[in-house]
Amino acid sequence: MLRLLRGYAFAIAGIAIGVAGVVALGAMSERIVRFIEGGDRFVLGQISVAGRGMGMGAGFTAGGLLPAATIKKISSVPGVAGVQPQVMLPLDPSTSQFMTLTQELILGLDLSVPMPNRYYRALPVRAGRFLRTGDRRAAVVGAAFAASRGLGVGSRFPLEGAEYGVVGILERMLTAPDRFVFVPIEDAREQWVAKDRMLRTLLASGAAALTAADLNTGVAVGWREGEDPDAVARRIMAEVPDVNVQLPSELSRLLRASTAFFAALLVGIGALALVIGGLSLANTMAAAVFERIRDFGVKRALGATDLDLAREVLGEALAVTVCGGAGGVGLAVLLGSSIDAWAGRSGQQLFYFSTRLLTGALAFSVLLGAAAAAWATVRVVRLSPAEAIRRGA
Amino acid sequence: MLRATGLVKSYRAPGGEPIPVLRGVDLVVKGGELVAVVGQSGSGKSTLLCVLGLLEDADAGEIVYENVCVSALPRSAKSRARGRWVGFVFQSFLLLPSLTALENVLLAARYTGRDRAEARRRGLALLDELGVVGRKDHYPQELSGGEQQRVAFCRAVLNDPPLLLADEPTGNLDDANGAVIFDALRSRARAGAAVVVVSHRPEAATGATAVYRLRGGVLEA
Repeated sequence: MLRLLRGYAFAIAGIAIGVAGVVALGAMSERIVRFIEGGDRFVLGQISVAGRGMGMGAGFTAGGLLPAATIKKISSVPGVAGVQPQVMLPLDPSTSQFMTLTQELILGLDLSVPMPNRYYRALPVRAGRFLRTGDRRAAVVGAAFAASRGLGVGSRFPLEGAEYGVVGILERMLTAPDRFVFVPIEDAREQWVAKDRMLRTLLASGAAALTAADLNTGVAVGWREGEDPDAVARRIMAEVPDVNVQLPSELSRLLRASTAFFAALLVGIGALALVIGGLSLANTMAAAVFERIRDFGVKRALGATDLDLAREVLGEALAVTVCGGAGGVGLAVLLGSSIDAWAGRSGQQLFYFSTRLLTGALAFSVLLGAAAAAWATVRVVRLSPAEAIRRGA
Repeated sequence: MLRATGLVKSYRAPGGEPIPVLRGVDLVVKGGELVAVVGQSGSGKSTLLCVLGLLEDADAGEIVYENVCVSALPRSAKSRARGRWVGFVFQSFLLLPSLTALENVLLAARYTGRDRAEARRRGLALLDELGVVGRKDHYPQELSGGEQQRVAFCRAVLNDPPLLLADEPTGNLDDANGAVIFDALRSRARAGAAVVVVSHRPEAATGATAVYRLRGGVLEA
């Protein structure tokens, strides 16, 4: 077998390069798909409500202040199952916010209320633990955030002049929370006041009768079983004044519309990768068969039937494409991992080698290789043995 | 063993017009006979051999091996017939470069369902008989022309075919090696095989039961 594979070394190398290209481009696509799908899943799992107006809040809590009284009203809307006050702030307010999808954010959570998001009842923790009621100056950080700053459980890092201890690090989710810092809402409120001079001035003036519980940029709202989330959101709109309510389906549509370019790009990249990789693979395999046309002529002279040859060629094609495919997958994973190791220092991950991608690429290479070999074999066995020997001479 | 009747074969020129090569060839070769076919280059000797050995179909005519009309068989049956009845010795040896000398010899047994161990024993004995057993693990590119043709001869006779067809078997060999191959062919005929040798060398006629000249697509005695 080793000798056989040595004989096909160039074909295997050619297939490996083609498959590596497909897998690498596919892994970049998978990475972006995961990012978009993760965001979509998040927004479909909760109704996001912010205060009306402009304020410090970022992402889905962008808007004005959402006081405690308003939150109470939201809680009493029929169909609402749970309301979690939140404070979402940009980690660095001087950073442009136009690329909010990749922004580093602080998310303060009211830990006395369970997470209402249907798809994220608990966030996956890779190391340490998630926040608990009573935690202060404690943070759970996203995987990319931790990687970019070299943080581990027990590490300490400063936020607006205060030291925070890392109690947990999330699994890499390949979506927005990878760059989040989760803190208790009380700490996030302090952050907010520290970051926002206008709010500080307002509170100091005593002009607004605000307590700490009023400092919320938004709430995540859950709904009762059997309720239509969009209908519940509309009910909140109708019954609670001065709020920005995001309909889950509308937010999902907006998210998908804003990422439509990426989605189209992915389709283009995927199609291009399949065409280029597929052509390279099929051409290499067919050429490897045609190269041996004289051998086939000799074998037929020795008594090999069309079926004997087809069986031999398909067996060899299978071995060659499995080796080439596995080599290509290995090469792509090696390259991707090396690039990600370098990019990871700034918290980036460019590739996601999902199981479906790797098995798909391997199956693609084997099936296409076998098909190309079968096609070439059919062309070859159509020739008389004498013609095959003459052409291969 | 071999009876060919009215074989006609023509090729197509690039312009589409037919180029007749065989114009009604009749040939009978019995077991134990060595028949030499001579003729000028391009006279159709190799084509005749290919048609006799079912490597190429004739346009018309009939080929019978041991009372079986093999020319009328379907493709797969023709392949099996080749494996069962015919051994080929080619001018350019046609050894597979990825296989060793012994593996090339044993290739002849692969498609005939012959017992592997027995085929190996027989292959080694043949290589020994032809003086190349010491080269059994060498690849064709590591062998001289004479050694390659001896290996190719061993492959041709591994299955003891009743019909041996040799196309210019000494065309690429020096005199000494050529003599070894001709001796081996005569020896096969003595052992009972029907042997047809196509050659332009006069030695081919030495010891031949019959000598034919192919001229104008017709065999002349």
